[in-house]
Amino acid sequence: MIFERKPLDIDKIKVTSGEVHIIKDRCKGCGFCIEYCPRDVLELSEEFNIKGYHPPRVKNPDNCVECHLCEMLCPEFAIYVTKKEDAKVSAR
Amino acid sequence: MKIGVYVCHCGGNISEVVDIKKVMEFAEQQGDVALVKDHAHMCSDVARKMLVDDIKEYGLDKVVIAACSPQFHGRTFMGTVEKAGLSPYVMEMANIREQCSWPHYYQPELATKKAKDIVKMAIVKARLDEPLEKKTSPIGKRVLVIGAGIAGIQAALDLGDAGFKVYLVEKEPSIGGKMAKLSRTFPTEDCAACILSPKMADVPANPNIELLTNTEIESISGFLGNYDVVAVRKPRYVDITKCTACDKCAEACPVVVPNEFDEGLSSRKAIYLPNPIAVPHAYVLDDKSCLGLFPLACSKCYDVCDAGAINYDEKPERINFTVDTIIVATGYEIFDPRKKKVYEFAKSKNVLTALDLERLISLEAEGTVLRPIGRRIAFIQCVGSRDELVGNEYCSRICCMYATKLSQLLKRADPKRDVYVFYVDLRAFGKGFEEYYKRAQRTGVKFIRGRVAELHEDSHTHKVRLKVEDTLTREIIESEFDLVILSVGLRPSEGTTKIADTLRLIKSPGGWLQEAHPKFRPVDTLADGVFICGCAQGPKDIPDTVAQASAAAARAIRLMNKGEYEVDPITAFVDEKLCSGCGICAGVCPYEAITIELKDGKRISRVNEVVCQGCGACVASCPSGAQQQRWFMTSQLHAMLSAALGEEV
Ligand SMILES: Cc1cc2nc3c(=O)[nH]c(=O)nc-3n(C[C@H](O)[C@H](O)[C@H](O)COP(=O)(O)OP(=O)(O)OC[C@H]3O[C@@H](n4cnc5c(N)ncnc54)[C@H](O)[C@@H]3O)c2cc1C
Ligand code: SF4
Ligand code: SF4
Repeated sequence: MIFERKPLDIDKIKVTSGEVHIIKDRCKGCGFCIEYCPRDVLELSEEFNIKGYHPPRVKNPDNCVECHLCEMLCPEFAIYVTKKEDAKVSAR
Repeated sequence: MKIGVYVCHCGGNISEVVDIKKVMEFAEQQGDVALVKDHAHMCSDVARKMLVDDIKEYGLDKVVIAACSPQFHGRTFMGTVEKAGLSPYVMEMANIREQCSWPHYYQPELATKKAKDIVKMAIVKARLDEPLEKKTSPIGKRVLVIGAGIAGIQAALDLGDAGFKVYLVEKEPSIGGKMAKLSRTFPTEDCAACILSPKMADVPANPNIELLTNTEIESISGFLGNYDVVAVRKPRYVDITKCTACDKCAEACPVVVPNEFDEGLSSRKAIYLPNPIAVPHAYVLDDKSCLGLFPLACSKCYDVCDAGAINYDEKPERINFTVDTIIVATGYEIFDPRKKKVYEFAKSKNVLTALDLERLISLEAEGTVLRPIGRRIAFIQCVGSRDELVGNEYCSRICCMYATKLSQLLKRADPKRDVYVFYVDLRAFGKGFEEYYKRAQRTGVKFIRGRVAELHEDSHTHKVRLKVEDTLTREIIESEFDLVILSVGLRPSEGTTKIADTLRLIKSPGGWLQEAHPKFRPVDTLADGVFICGCAQGPKDIPDTVAQASAAAARAIRLMNKGEYEVDPITAFVDEKLCSGCGICAGVCPYEAITIELKDGKRISRVNEVVCQGCGACVASCPSGAQQQRWFMTSQLHAMLSAALGEEV
């Protein structure tokens, strides 16, 4: 019942937020980062990279909380995250 | 054989309807009856002394008491007969009150005839009674208390202080229950947290209490003196012995979710302190909201925890232990006001529950203002109580008084406020309650008798418009408010329903746990050694909850203190010659007292007489007539039926 209402202090809560950087041409299209991102930040893009794969694309930039999971999972070191200074709130 | 028959007048309850003389004359004609007497009150001291003397003087070996229900005084007369040196099981009661004089008040002649039949049935049964002996069974001093709201805490402390070993199991990460959420408590207006937190702190400090938080009961089997409990401790991911409650982890955690302690009005992180007075005072990681532990997604909290308290690899842990008695204190939940669509709860910003308001007031006292409360405030009473449309016929008992409290607190905090309470009936039944209600009226709170017919929040101003008929003046009131508070009723918590199923406890209408007798056994259940207290038994306030909790502890101590307890010999037993080993009886036994065993290559049913409750289900089910029940032998039942049908016995 309580989860139907938005908490009243939500705008005052600060959380870290990250910026995702994708080195498109290193990607081999395995999709791990898209699959495992706990915040649903990424999606597959339509474009082709130099190797002929579809690299990921940032779909929900505000959702990233800088957890670095994608960075750790990527077998080709093709994705990394930097911390954004202006921390923003977004509750799930 | 010498049977003594005693006919009770019950101070007119029986004698005003039944002709006592005729019943006595009839009894005298029955075989083996050596003595017939009457008395105005058989249960009185003098009458019972007379009974003891008669047994000795006349050498009676069976006794029939024609009086009230054995539910009422069976134990009394069994004790009296025992005092005279007889087995308590040679005493039979003929119930000529509940089953005769009361229902047949307007047919005295027929009632007298029926009373004779009832007396005759008791005489023929008594003839066949065996002098059974009570048995004793050893018992230890271990208690399981389920639920650690104020009820469970009080029971556990009483038992721990008395030297009993207590396992206190709480499903949430902190103890305290609903009381920890309240602002002040009626009628004394003590600050709830201030009076509760010392009690909460006493729990881990008590060497006899083993506190198991974040833990749920998986199964309970066995019987009084030997209940095997399996509990599962959910992973907390934080070592409570290491955590210093520094809050660094929560600060680092990027996940924000509604905080259930504040009814979702505020937010918390995925790793959090359950509440400001939490016991154990340690953080907990909510794995449903955490970004992920498998694979580990974020680990920001781990990185900042200087105490090294966080361990992502914790797994659920199964804990097994054995106890002698059990106290159920699993409490209540508030009624979900979304079920009453007219009140637009969760849709309107300015319609809150009373528990929401408790949190707002508590937070304000701690210096946090989540939202303004406003100038014009209305309380709507009986939301989800006394309302057959939502299936709750009962009165929740506390809402009138908490509304009286909250309205008064609001008015006193700002005397310029207009505070209205719209009620159906105002019930101020407790000690000091009426005075408290008068005080609220003097403070300037306006109590208006009327049910709210319409509620609507303006989409621009967010003022809530109410339409109410004042049932005393017949006036229709239409007015706007800044805030509307729904005085929600209580319903049994999900945990209460679950434990009722686990322990096979009977529920009363409304789903609350049913006591063994509303007047004389208010905290016992029909399961031996299982007691109930607090709001799990029914809606009640804190004083009543605490009183019941101490009562439940005392009742448990009564059973365990001597180191042994009496076992009723009224159990089933098997005639091995007749038993075919079909196992039907084992299937119907609700207490799992029957096992089928191999004896000399033959399948035989065996009854565990400590577990058997003497319900008789197996006896009725046995196709071979091999199961018999002591004190209710088939031969006795046949004799009683023949007597009732007027056949010669
Ligand atoms: C808005 C509001 C205001 C109130 N104001 C007052 C007041 O001013 N004065 C007053 O006297 N009373 C007041 N009350 C009533 C008071 O809250 C109750 O009397 C009291 O909290 C009952 O305590 P309890 O321990 O029986 O139940 P609870 O507080 O509900 O505790 C039950 C505990 O058992 C746990 N549990 C449940 N199921 C299981 C399970 N299966 N396994 C393990 N643990 C389980 C729960 O997590 C909980 O901790 C108010 C109530 C409300 C709703
Ligand atoms: S690991 Fe989970 S609990 Fe810890 S900071 Fe990250 S999201 Fe929060
Ligand atoms: S950072 Fe560690 S010590 Fe501090 S509150 Fe969190 S778990 Fe406890």
